Amino acid sequence: MTRDAGLPAAVPAAAAGSRSGKKAKTVLGESREIQLAIDLIRLGARLQLLETETQLSRDRLLKLYKELLGVSPPKGMLPFSTDWFLTWQPNIHASLFAGIHRQLMQHAGLDSVDALVKGYRLYLEQLPPEPGAEPVLSLTRAWTLVRFLNSSMLETARCRQCGGEFIVQPQRRQRFVCGLCRVPSRAGKTRKVLDARAGSTQPD
Amino acid sequence: MDHSNLMDEVRDINLSYLMLAQRMVREDQAMAVYRLGISQEIAQLIDRLSTAQLLKLASSPMMLTRFRFDDGAILGMLTHDSKERQLAHAHSAILLAGQPVEEIL
Repeated sequence: MTRDAGLPAAVPAAAAGSRSGKKAKTVLGESREIQLAIDLIRLGARLQLLETETQLSRDRLLKLYKELLGVSPPKGMLPFSTDWFLTWQPNIHASLFAGIHRQLMQHAGLDSVDALVKGYRLYLEQLPPEPGAEPVLSLTRAWTLVRFLNSSMLETARCRQCGGEFIVQPQRRQRFVCGLCRVPSRAGKTRKVLDARAGSTQPD
Repeated sequence: MDHSNLMDEVRDINLSYLMLAQRMVREDQAMAVYRLGISQEIAQLIDRLSTAQLLKLASSPMMLTRFRFDDGAILGMLTHDSKERQLAHAHSAILLAGQPVEEIL
């Protein structure tokens, strides 16, 4: 494996691996942490995510957040439920992100947080939000999803019709058919979607 | 269109593909691995190709890239279904993300 190929030789190998351990306080290491925090904040990360995934102090993160976005980060708890990922449209978006994230870790040799940043960019590229709308899957949701998968609170299953990997509840892998092979009749027929469609002039 | 014209077009596509792939790999190798569906090893190989090597490789009258949807049933589902474009796009992206990458064995 050549996962450290892009890093300067002076950085200890351990620093490139897990970020959970305390990192040596090198200037290079710190600048990388700041760059990571900037990327995460720009993509919409909440404070809890930043505190978990970077080695920067809460005070520095708050300051950085304000400098970048001009406002304080929103307060309050993160959404903590697996249910959201199992509803129809979120499940499609979450399944795509999970697939990209897994590919980046398995085949591109990225660690989890780098795969989060790059995977999220690739997800936005594939399923960009409607103009003026928020992405269906926020970065913080994407991060929560990875944690749910790591702790087996959610799993992935292969659809027996198309063979795609989708997010499912644990122990629901048997005879699974995804929401794209069997689209529920009311799927996506929310007020908002219908209004948007009525207003759009794009041929389908 | 005569035969030699076809072969010229194949060479053109090969060259465009290799140049684009090399640019993508040099810009961001990890993202290129995902976007192109290739292994890290192949990405590094493409990265290291000199212009002369790249031209030599592209000048083969054989198409260098392969169709990534090689399952007839899936292809049919993605193209013939009454599925909306947006949904078909999401579906194909999920299927590609679940595919094994092209590797050097």
